[in-house]
Amino acid sequence: MRIALFSDIHANLPALEACFNSMEAQKPDAIYCLGDLVGYNIWPNEVINEIRKRGIPTIAGNYDQGIGLMSDECGCAYKKEPEKDMGKISISFTNSLVKPDERKYLRTLPAHIRVEFQLNNDKLNLLLVHGSPRKINEYLFEDRDEKSMLRIMEGADADIMCFGHTHKPYHRILPTEQTENTHYRHAINIGSVGKPKDNNPKGCYVMLTINADSSITNKDAVQVEFIRFDYDIEKAAKAVEDSPLPNEYADMLRKGY
Amino acid sequence: MQFPSDYKYSKEHTWIKIEGQTGTIGITEFAQSELGEIVYVDLPSVGKQFKKDEIFGSVEAIKTTSDLFMPVSGEVIETNAALKDDATLVNSASFTDGWMIKIILSDSKEIDTLLNAGSYEKIVS
Repeated sequence: MRIALFSDIHANLPALEACFNSMEAQKPDAIYCLGDLVGYNIWPNEVINEIRKRGIPTIAGNYDQGIGLMSDECGCAYKKEPEKDMGKISISFTNSLVKPDERKYLRTLPAHIRVEFQLNNDKLNLLLVHGSPRKINEYLFEDRDEKSMLRIMEGADADIMCFGHTHKPYHRILPTEQTENTHYRHAINIGSVGKPKDNNPKGCYVMLTINADSSITNKDAVQVEFIRFDYDIEKAAKAVEDSPLPNEYADMLRKGY
Repeated sequence: MQFPSDYKYSKEHTWIKIEGQTGTIGITEFAQSELGEIVYVDLPSVGKQFKKDEIFGSVEAIKTTSDLFMPVSGEVIETNAALKDDATLVNSASFTDGWMIKIILSDSKEIDTLLNAGSYEKIVS
């Protein structure tokens, strides 16, 4: 089956609409959203409602959790003072935009989704999280030490783990030697729909294909396709510039950082 | 920021508190503040021996990870089990409850190569 996975829309409605257009043409068997619907742009309610009306199973991102709780803390772990100052403006502005029903939806989103496949008389566990299984806002970058990545995945009983949060897509295959054969785990960062940070301003989502012969001992158990789509970046960037949000967020959209 | 005067410090931001032939090791308040919220501390098994400046473990924070370097050579005799349940003790009490390992020193002369509180404070401020 083919599963479409997307996340980190961050209130960017033009990007989400283009994402759905691209995705619907692909006719996936299932769609999941891995969170961070809001923050950094002007359309948090519209983004929430586009996802809700399609009944897409969605988990909470750290920004959704912050806004759901009407908090002034988004869990973004900003390091530098200018980032912190811009972040404060964004969360305060987002809190002022989000309506009660939409906020209630964010507050009640689940933390994780686990999908268990039973293929070839064996289990194959797909785990969907926003940051990591242990922390909603943990950044699992591509250079994370293999030992650490495996510990996280084994601890969560995840054969395939999909996550977002860093806005930088990658697929890592992590082998572990077992007594009889090698197990292969898949760590997949699905990138960002509405705020890419990998120097490619196009939106990103993932199409994951699970085959009938997929298993943990088969290195090619899953196919992972990163789909990049064009959207009206200028519209999204102008919206930022015409709002109380810092203009730097518009530059980030135009350049993808 | 604290720099307890009865501790010794390494340039790699670990501290050691010496009691006879044993030493308790952790990371400094400065180090934890640079790392941010700590999620997991990977510590060695009891009985492992390390040389000065060798990596004895790692710290995983929300946004970054960092190796841990031995301030002096020694054998691990205890690790802080409390960190398994709550790694943020390193953030909240880096010089006390957030300690990481206890060792038996292999060569107590190595202590003289470490920094005192004042010298370490100058490095990080």
